[in-house]
Amino acid sequence: MSDRIIFHIDVNSAYLSWEAAYRLQHGSQTDLRNIPSIVGGDQEKRHGIVLAKSIPAKKFGIITGETIHSAREKCPGLVMVPPNYYRYIMASDAMVNLLKDYSPLIQRYSIDEVFLDYSNMDIPFMDAAGEMSKKIENELGFTVNIGIGPNKLLAKMASDFSKPNKIHTLFNHQLEEKMWNLPVQDLFMVGSRTARKLNGRGIFTIGHLASLDREYIHSWLKKPGLLIWEYANGIENSEVRSGGTPIKSVGNSTTLPFDVETREEAHKVLLAISEMIGMRARDLEMCGWVISVSIKNHLFYSCSHQKKLTAPTDATSTIYKYAALLFDELWDGEPLRHLSISLSQLQSSEFFQISMLEPFDKKNRSLDRTIDSLRSKFGQNSIYRSCFLHSGIDPVIGGVVMEESYPMMSSYL
Amino acid sequence: MKVLMKPIEMIAWFNGEKFPVPLRFRLQAEDGSNLVIKIDRILFQEEEKLAGNRMVVYRCEGVVQELNKVFELKYEILTCKWFLFKM
Repeated sequence: MSDRIIFHIDVNSAYLSWEAAYRLQHGSQTDLRNIPSIVGGDQEKRHGIVLAKSIPAKKFGIITGETIHSAREKCPGLVMVPPNYYRYIMASDAMVNLLKDYSPLIQRYSIDEVFLDYSNMDIPFMDAAGEMSKKIENELGFTVNIGIGPNKLLAKMASDFSKPNKIHTLFNHQLEEKMWNLPVQDLFMVGSRTARKLNGRGIFTIGHLASLDREYIHSWLKKPGLLIWEYANGIENSEVRSGGTPIKSVGNSTTLPFDVETREEAHKVLLAISEMIGMRARDLEMCGWVISVSIKNHLFYSCSHQKKLTAPTDATSTIYKYAALLFDELWDGEPLRHLSISLSQLQSSEFFQISMLEPFDKKNRSLDRTIDSLRSKFGQNSIYRSCFLHSGIDPVIGGVVMEESYPMMSSYL
Repeated sequence: MKVLMKPIEMIAWFNGEKFPVPLRFRLQAEDGSNLVIKIDRILFQEEEKLAGNRMVVYRCEGVVQELNKVFELKYEILTCKWFLFKM
């Protein structure tokens, strides 16, 4: 068997490109990609961050993740469009469908990134990549970067080299020339903190990191250090998982349109989030052992707290009970703008050990299931708890439901 | 032809082929009156999938206010909506 050839296909400014293509299709005269523009949340509801930016907007120094307010200060004539996840999923699906003509082994790494295993194919990989990229541009109206390498890591690094609409290769013999001169924070899995640590010891390039002694990095940064050392040397051998990544936790959060100041109100928000998490966990047929709560106050200071349960759960009321408990231990009374809960250490809910310390409520389980089926049939707000009446808080809170099947970001290749 | 992208009311024929066949449509003229345009001939039709959204584009010929004109219609498969795309 010959060597592996892995493609990493990354949509150039994904949300913005998709939005632009959709608008052109609907008769818009301007292409959002050619003017300073962003896709961003609703500032009224304080969800105001830049999700994607056009290349002209980038020239004004606008970065993804900054607030709309500061983006507008940098570029007064900035065009802003609200996101529409349904459209983006449609665009992403269309791209994956098109790519299925080239290989059966496709891993959707996120909504706008795909790994494709192109080992042992007839058409030479450069020709295939060129054809893919042209076909996506002509048929679907947006451009992609394609990175080609012997494994997922190098393919991903390659697709990031220069944008947009480019094809890059990065094989082991090209490491020195193409990757080792890059700053160390450009390496996958090296975040700002790790970069600071490395810089502190005089390590500024990926090449320098790669040349360090394996034992030295292990004794200094432990297992994660070993991982980035291997990455710096181009060592990575995970499969292209066409089944998708296994789900490790279920979490939801909300940024509130107003600051929460009372315990009662905060508990209601937690209950609303618990409803969503419970529903999702039951839908996945999973239950979790660990519940964690995190909060962010009006000064953007955030903290979290977690607890391991005596028995795994998928019940809305149990999730809420512990979330409220954790919250009470955590909260110091400051106004809050953001609350989140996550349920992790998941396992199948088909069989599980019940606890002597925790009552097992069979009736509650069937109540949860009945509510779920009512909601799936008649809509999320067809049935809800009376405490939410006139409370100004949505009875079920939790992000964008459809977006959930595509992880937005993951540290697992 | 100018891009209009006006939503229109359409009578179409679903004949079991891949795409429906537009027959006649109604749109509001600038003075508020209704204008009915019959499609005399479909010059060509093609499917586009921009941003993954499937639409059928028809280039047609018909008589508009006593003038023989060429125009483009669009049918959005997801929403079953018709538009006068260009005229």
